[in-house]
Amino acid sequence: MNLLEVDGLTVGVERSPTSILANVAFSVPEGRIVGLVGESGSGKTMAALTMMGLLPDGIEVRSGSVRIDGRQLMDPETMTVERRAGDMAMIFQHPQAALNPTMRVGRQIARVFSLQQGCGRDEAMSLAIEMLGRVGIPGAGRVARAYPHQLSGGMCQRVMIAMALACRPRILIADEPTTALDVTIQAQIFDLIRDLVEETGAGVLFITHDLAAVAEMCDTVTVLFGGQVMEEGSRDDIFRRPRNPYTTYLLDSVQKEVDPHVIEAGVDFELVGCRFGHRCRYAWEECGRVPDLVSVGAGHRSACFLHAMEENGAGAP
Amino acid sequence: MPALLEVRGLWKTFGRGRGALPAVRGVDLDVERGETVGVVGESGCGKTTLARMVAGLTRATDGDIRFDGSDLDGSSASIENRRRIQMVFQHPAQSLNRRMSVGAMLAEPLRLLAGVPRSDTTDRIEEMLGLVGLDPAFRTRRPRQLSGGQQQRVAIARALMPDPDLVVLDEPTSSLDQSLRGRMIALLRRIQELRDVSYLFISHDLGTVRRIADRVAVMYLGRIVEIAGTRQLFEDPRHPYTKALLSVAPTMDLDRARTRIVLEGETPSPTDLPTGCSFQDRCPLVFDRCREESPVLTLVDDYREVECFAVAPSSGS
Repeated sequence: MNLLEVDGLTVGVERSPTSILANVAFSVPEGRIVGLVGESGSGKTMAALTMMGLLPDGIEVRSGSVRIDGRQLMDPETMTVERRAGDMAMIFQHPQAALNPTMRVGRQIARVFSLQQGCGRDEAMSLAIEMLGRVGIPGAGRVARAYPHQLSGGMCQRVMIAMALACRPRILIADEPTTALDVTIQAQIFDLIRDLVEETGAGVLFITHDLAAVAEMCDTVTVLFGGQVMEEGSRDDIFRRPRNPYTTYLLDSVQKEVDPHVIEAGVDFELVGCRFGHRCRYAWEECGRVPDLVSVGAGHRSACFLHAMEENGAGAP
Repeated sequence: MPALLEVRGLWKTFGRGRGALPAVRGVDLDVERGETVGVVGESGCGKTTLARMVAGLTRATDGDIRFDGSDLDGSSASIENRRRIQMVFQHPAQSLNRRMSVGAMLAEPLRLLAGVPRSDTTDRIEEMLGLVGLDPAFRTRRPRQLSGGQQQRVAIARALMPDPDLVVLDEPTSSLDQSLRGRMIALLRRIQELRDVSYLFISHDLGTVRRIADRVAVMYLGRIVEIAGTRQLFEDPRHPYTKALLSVAPTMDLDRARTRIVLEGETPSPTDLPTGCSFQDRCPLVFDRCREESPVLTLVDDYREVECFAVAPSSGS
C-alpha cells in the first residue's frame, strides 16, 4: 500500500515555458525508504519543497497530484499542497541553518507538541525531552536548554529529527540529511532513521546525490535528471541492472573515468524532448520527444526510446 | 636519500591557557618524490592545519618540517621554497581572485616566484590550460564565468604554473558534484605522470583518497593513528578507529559483506582531552592501559604503523 503518491507533477518558473519538474511521478509505501537521486539541478529538492508547500516565490505548480493514503493534498484552485498536521515532516541538509538560532532547542520541539496536541507548556517540554532521548541524545534535559550554536552538526540533525517526529508524520522527507556530517556520525543518523521506520511504519523519501548512501539506505530508487524521471526500480535493479543510459552514466561516473563531454554539458532546461539527449551517446532524432516511462522488468521502469527498439529486436543504434 | 618532505614531531596549538586548542599534536610524516600521500579524518582532526603548516601558511608551535633537506619555517620560507610547494584550496570560488582574468592569475606566480618576465608567459599559460583540459580562450575569462569544475582546474593550473615539486591539496574535490570528482582525479594523476610532482592530498572522502593515494594516513584528534599503503589500509585496516571509519563508509557495492562498527558518541573536544589514548571513550577495544598511557605510532608490519596498545602492545612511548 502506497502511503504517498505523487503523480504528473509539473513545476515551472512563472511567466516562462521552462519546467523544472516535468510530469514527475513517484510513490512511497508504508515502512519503506525511497531514494530520489540526481545531480545538482536535477529537481530533487524542488520536488520536496513542492510537497511541503515551501516553493520559493516565482515558482509555480502547473499540474500534478500529491496523495497521502489516497487523500488528495493538491488544492486545484491555488495549485498548492495543503498538508494536515502529521502528513509530512522534513529534515534539511544544514540542520544548524534550519533551526531557530534564538530559541533553545527543547522549546523549539515543545512548540510542535503545543501546536499539534494543544498540550500545556510543561507537558510539551517533558514530551520534547523524552523525544530528544529517543533520538539518542545523552543528557536530553541538559541539551534541551542549549541553543543550536552550542551543539555539533550531528546533534543538531538529531534535534531536527526529533522535531520532525514530534509531528508523528506519515512521511518523512530527508533532503541530504547527512551531507554536512562526518562518516561516523552519518552512520548513527542512518541507524536512527532505519529504527524509526521500523518503529513507526512511516515512509521515508530520501533525497541525495550520493549514490553510496542510496545503496546503503534505500529499498527503491527514482532517478531524476533535468526534472524528468529517467528510471525507477528496486535498489538491485538500479545498481545491478540499470537500463537507462543516464543511470548507467551516473553509476560509472562515480567509479571510473567517463566521457568528459557528458559531464560538462550540464542540464539544458530549454531543451525539448529528453533532457539527457544532448549528453547521451545513444541520442538520435527520436530523442527530440520526451520518452515515456516503460516497464523493463517487474517494478522496474525506464524512460528511453532505446527500450522500444530493443523490443522490436533491433540493437542499439 | 631523505624524503622530499619530512615532518617531525609537528605541533600546532591555537590560543593559550585553559582554552588552548591543540589542533595537531606531534605528527611525523614523509612524502617521497612523485608520491601521493592521502590524509583522511573527520572534521576537527587537524588535517587542514597540517596541510597549512606544510604549505607555510600557518606557523607550527613546535616540531620540524624539512623540505628537500632544508628546514622550512612558515614565516621565513625562501622564495624558492614557496615556488616549490604550492597549495590548492577547497573552495575555488573563494581562493581565486575574482577581479583577475584567468590569464593574469596564471601569470602571477610565474612572475613573482620564477622570475619569468610578463612577455614570456603567454605560451606557458596556454600549455598549462591545455594540460588541465581547458581551451586557450579561457585566458580572458574571469572566475564568475566558470563552472565549479572549471574553477578548480584553474586553481590546479595556478598551483602548477611555477613548476612545484609538492602540491598540497586540501579537499580539492569536495565542492564538486560526484560525477566531476572522477575526472579531477584522472587529471591529477596524469599531471603527476608528466611532471613527477608529489601530492599531499587532504580529504574526508575515503573513496577519492582510495583512488589517488599511494599511502594513506588516518588522523584522529590531531594525531596520525594509522598509516599504511592504500590497498593495505583499505583492505585490512588495523586501528580500531580506521576499522570503524571504513566499516560505516557507504559503498555502492551491494555484494560487500561487512560488519558495521558504529562508534558511539562524538569526537571529544580537543580542549579537554582525557589522559592516555584520545580514542579511549569511543574505542571498542579499550582496556586499563589506554586510560593511563598514550600510545605512539609503531611499525606493525611492512610499511604500516599503528598507534594502539591493543594492536601493537609495544607502542608505549
